[in-house]
Amino acid sequence: MTNRFNTALLAALAASMLLAEPALASTQGSFGSTSTGSVTINASVPGRVRISGLSDVTFSNVDPSVAASNAQNVCVWSNTSTRGYNITATGSGTANAFTLASGALPAVPYTVQWASSSGQTSGTSLASGTALVGQTSSATNQDCSAGPAASASLVVGVSSSTLQSMTAGVTYNGTLTLVVAPE
Amino acid sequence: MEPLPPSRDARHEGGKARGTLKGAPRLTLPIAVLLAAFFSPQPAAAQKVRISDLSDVNFGLIANLQTDARRSQNVCVFSQSAGGRYSITATGSGSGSSFALTNGANSLAYEVEWNDQSGQTSGTSLVPAVAVTGRVSAATQQTCNSGPPSTASLIVILRSSSLTQAREGNYSGSLTLVVAAE
Repeated sequence: MTNRFNTALLAALAASMLLAEPALASTQGSFGSTSTGSVTINASVPGRVRISGLSDVTFSNVDPSVAASNAQNVCVWSNTSTRGYNITATGSGTANAFTLASGALPAVPYTVQWASSSGQTSGTSLASGTALVGQTSSATNQDCSAGPAASASLVVGVSSSTLQSMTAGVTYNGTLTLVVAPE
Repeated sequence: MEPLPPSRDARHEGGKARGTLKGAPRLTLPIAVLLAAFFSPQPAAAQKVRISDLSDVNFGLIANLQTDARRSQNVCVFSQSAGGRYSITATGSGSGSSFALTNGANSLAYEVEWNDQSGQTSGTSLVPAVAVTGRVSAATQQTCNSGPPSTASLIVILRSSSLTQAREGNYSGSLTLVVAAE
């Protein structure tokens, strides 16, 4: 039996900063052998996040008597002062359920877990459409091309009972969407 | 010819045009000084400059961090030097006079460019505390109240490479420009 579904990748960007009123402080030079003027420069950088390093998840020829699990390292970057973020996952099933489908066959559920450190094989279970708040990233670069190579773990699982309910030799597919927002 | 020692008569007549050959050396010195003073170039300190019409640079909320943010403004620089020549030196308020903004905890680097024509959006890159020489101003009035309304462009740039790595927050800093006659 081959069960296969794809994980789609999305990153959410949110900006919630209010601008501070810039001080008007430019000074003009006077007439002399040298003349000095100055300006004040103001800029506001909004909160931004990025998720990257995601890979599709494929379960092939799994043993239905044993639960299947796939863990992958992911890069989540946040520019907030605490490097904080929250993550929301939605599936492609009915009402965004975490389910896989194969034509007219009954959809089958899968589970999603998230850990805010890399190299994990378990984490906090995600409910579809519900943000998991209070996450912190160790990434120092947007796509982890420098600093830590990954900053979180995504774990997708299919229970043994679900596997046993699936039709052998049929491919099941689904899409998992992950939205990260700054905190 | 080595000057002869002045005679007693010459001492009595020194400085007068009717002095004899013996008194001539006492006359040539003040004339030479006068000629040198008349024909020598004016000292640089006498040439004055002025920079004005500077405005604060407000980038506001930079929604797109993936592209460079650039602000340019027209500035008036007046120089009394021949040809309106001047140099410009910029220093920032960052560490070591660097061009950097701060939000109190983090810094955000920026770049400065200068163009000695107004209405420009790019120019010569300035290095903190390093004078860029050979600039020329077309200003005919100290504050550009008459003649060209502005003579130069100041460009401040926040590179996307800095923005995409910057921490969230409100950043500010000051940029000081010193113009000198050349």
